[in-house]
Amino acid sequence: MARGRELLRYGATRLALAPVMLWLISSLVFLLLRVAPGDPVDAVLGSRAPADAKAQIREQLGLAMPLSDQYFDFINRLIHGDLGTALINQEPVRHIIADALPASLELSITALILAAVSGLAVGFSGIARPEGKLDLAGRFYGIGTYALPPFWVAMLLQLLFAVILGWLPVGGRFPPSLVPPSGSGFLILDSILSGDWVALNGAVRHLALPACTLGLLLSGVFTNALRLNLRRALRSDYVEAARSRGLSESQVVLRHALPNALLPVLTIAGITVASLIGGALLIEVTFSWPGIALRLQESINQRDYPVVQGIVVVIAALVVMISVFVDLLVASLDPRVRY
Amino acid sequence: MGCISQSQLLQQQRRFRSTWISVAVGLGLSLSQLACQHQHSSDRLTVASAGRIASLDPAQANTYGTLQLLSALGDTLYTREQDNSLKPQLAAEQPQISDGGRTVTIPLRRDVLFHDGTRFDAEAMAFSLNRFLRIGIQSYVVGDRIEAIETPASDVLRLRLSRPSSSLESLLTSPYLTPISPTAYANHKDRFLNDRFIGTGPYKLISFRATQQRLVPFKRYWGAPPSNAGLDMINLSNSTALFGALRSGEVDVLLSESIDEDQRLALDRRADQGLLLESSGPALQIGYITFLSNAPPLLSKQVRQALVHSLDRSLISTRVSHGQRQPLRSLIPPSLQGGRQEPWPIYSPDRTRTLLRQAGYCQGQPLELPLTYRSNVPSDRLMALTWQAQLSRDLPDCIRLRLEGVESTTVYGYLGKGAFKAVMLDWGGSYPDPEAYLAPLLSCTQAKGDICEAGEAVISGSFWTRPGLEKALRRSDSLKGAERLEQLLAIDTMAAEGAAYLPVWLVTPKAWAQTHLAPLEFNGSGQLRLARLREKR
Repeated sequence: MARGRELLRYGATRLALAPVMLWLISSLVFLLLRVAPGDPVDAVLGSRAPADAKAQIREQLGLAMPLSDQYFDFINRLIHGDLGTALINQEPVRHIIADALPASLELSITALILAAVSGLAVGFSGIARPEGKLDLAGRFYGIGTYALPPFWVAMLLQLLFAVILGWLPVGGRFPPSLVPPSGSGFLILDSILSGDWVALNGAVRHLALPACTLGLLLSGVFTNALRLNLRRALRSDYVEAARSRGLSESQVVLRHALPNALLPVLTIAGITVASLIGGALLIEVTFSWPGIALRLQESINQRDYPVVQGIVVVIAALVVMISVFVDLLVASLDPRVRY
Repeated sequence: MGCISQSQLLQQQRRFRSTWISVAVGLGLSLSQLACQHQHSSDRLTVASAGRIASLDPAQANTYGTLQLLSALGDTLYTREQDNSLKPQLAAEQPQISDGGRTVTIPLRRDVLFHDGTRFDAEAMAFSLNRFLRIGIQSYVVGDRIEAIETPASDVLRLRLSRPSSSLESLLTSPYLTPISPTAYANHKDRFLNDRFIGTGPYKLISFRATQQRLVPFKRYWGAPPSNAGLDMINLSNSTALFGALRSGEVDVLLSESIDEDQRLALDRRADQGLLLESSGPALQIGYITFLSNAPPLLSKQVRQALVHSLDRSLISTRVSHGQRQPLRSLIPPSLQGGRQEPWPIYSPDRTRTLLRQAGYCQGQPLELPLTYRSNVPSDRLMALTWQAQLSRDLPDCIRLRLEGVESTTVYGYLGKGAFKAVMLDWGGSYPDPEAYLAPLLSCTQAKGDICEAGEAVISGSFWTRPGLEKALRRSDSLKGAERLEQLLAIDTMAAEGAAYLPVWLVTPKAWAQTHLAPLEFNGSGQLRLARLREKR
């Protein structure tokens, strides 16, 4: 009971600090964008637009105000949940995020599942014979997949599976000849909910290559983490104690060592999914995946301040929430964790 | 670990391995099955191009992809044919010029409907023109030319001009001026409507996403119906994806902008082997270098002239684009009136050396010149690298180029502030007329001697002008035929002598298609005729 209260207090403290962290991040992004060279008005109107038209749009977009006023206006809007509208086409930023975020989450979650399954399987496969062939292969796999340049792997897989074999689409998120199912924005989920199996097939086929690529690249992290933690766990006192009680080796591994070895992996998974939401840029660019990272990159190029600010704030909020959730989950699973 | 426990684990591993092998085989078989489904399920065609479509509003359009899409969804008053002739589209006949060239009367077709079922008439055209002039981001292309837009009858549009303008006819072919339904845009008179388009074109938009648009034939279209059952337009984010999508048969047609040079070459080779269809339109995009002419060292005309003699265009074209980008020695593309002449000098290292020596360079004092290129444009970087290598081979004691890669947005942001001594850029006119190339680079509204203080030459980053140049530009737009040609030649020659710009190459728009399609066609404005895409009979 006391531990439950402790956890609750810890979670509440972390969540209470989240607004401060978001304020710091959003302020930093606001300042960095203003310092960066390039004028958003040029991006909207083109550099050849008449000066009076530029002045007019600058006024309209609030860019003519002193920087401090712009900042307080931005923070005030943010507090009220208003992320503003895109400078380029006046689309509300929350619509842009609502459109792109599900694509990134769908990709990240699928990639994470693939990475966890394949990475943990490889990590686990060599445990029977440390330094044996399988263990060495697992180590090589772990380091190799981690070290491979993402864009290079992505292009190779694209060339093989899409161009040469023609099994999967080269890029995009949905077949151009079909109308995407409406709903949550998660196309696979929406296709299942609407019972549209053709759409589901299309969505899965488009997701397969980017998700497998990202999954492959991430799986090495899981392989290494499991290998190291499992080996450490197998050498620990409680495992020796279990063995001395006469439990079979598989019981020792599966019931005692593995759950303990998986706890750090859970933390890694949490950090990975959080970083993937905004960090899968190379994969999104290579596969033309219309996710939030690709949108962020385009908005930075266009100096579309509100979109960049909105996306960064939302990603930061997600990272904070996921890390708090993972911390709480680990703490609830591992009674040794103290705060 | 004991022996027994190890064998147990090994057994588990074997089971585990066999499960994984079964899963992998199953997955492979499923993919093979899916591969069979990767064929066209309808007679619709898929057309791929690069980049997102942020807005479908003609007042907001500024990318090649958007203009290409608008050309399928909308019509213009006139179209420019490949032979450079002007063909009426929504206009019923050729424009009637009166009042010494200051009044242009355009009779309109009476059988045209917008996609929302409302009738196209002079009021609708005036609404669209006025809206573009009011909020269009490219409204500067019209400038101060149109003084008033009148509608004397429902099928007659009259434009009152501030001055005679021979380029106006070409301007009327621009997709920026495509008419939109006043009813559908009633709430968007003064703001953009990004995700819909209600025009008069052969296709109707039924679904819009920034990366995917679905077009169906407009059943009540006034002209010849489209030759296909509809189009699925997709926008991919990079050249490799576009290239792969065409090679794998995923898309039927690929539009060429943003395709890397190596991939263009590979597609050309496949076309030569009969594995693809290839078609090209009139080359209307020029690549050039701007020299900052109001500050040393390029304040000196002699130094600028030395530089324009120093560029080996043939080498650049071969090394950068495998000869696909044609060398260019004019600011006007050759497919336009006045573009056949070549006033810029040919490559001559000896002449460069002589001029630089006269200016006090060489002999142990080389000209140090920073050359800026857009870091996100691969061909610009290659061009800069090649020119740098060519100069260090041919004129090592006279010129040293220092390369600086700067991202596009920053380049355009600082160009008019005189931040770059020499910068590689490109330009495509908003309409197919020499005016759309000369005025945006050379026009100057306020000058002191050869230095421009306000106007397009400042925005272009050259700050160069010449007494009489602005007058010559205005005069060329008021002339026609041989007189205009002569004037254009004079302007281009003045610009070549001033040497504030260095034309490098010409980019030809290309499209590739699968061999089951009939040959592709471009119009004179460099746009693919999407309505004419069809299966081979």
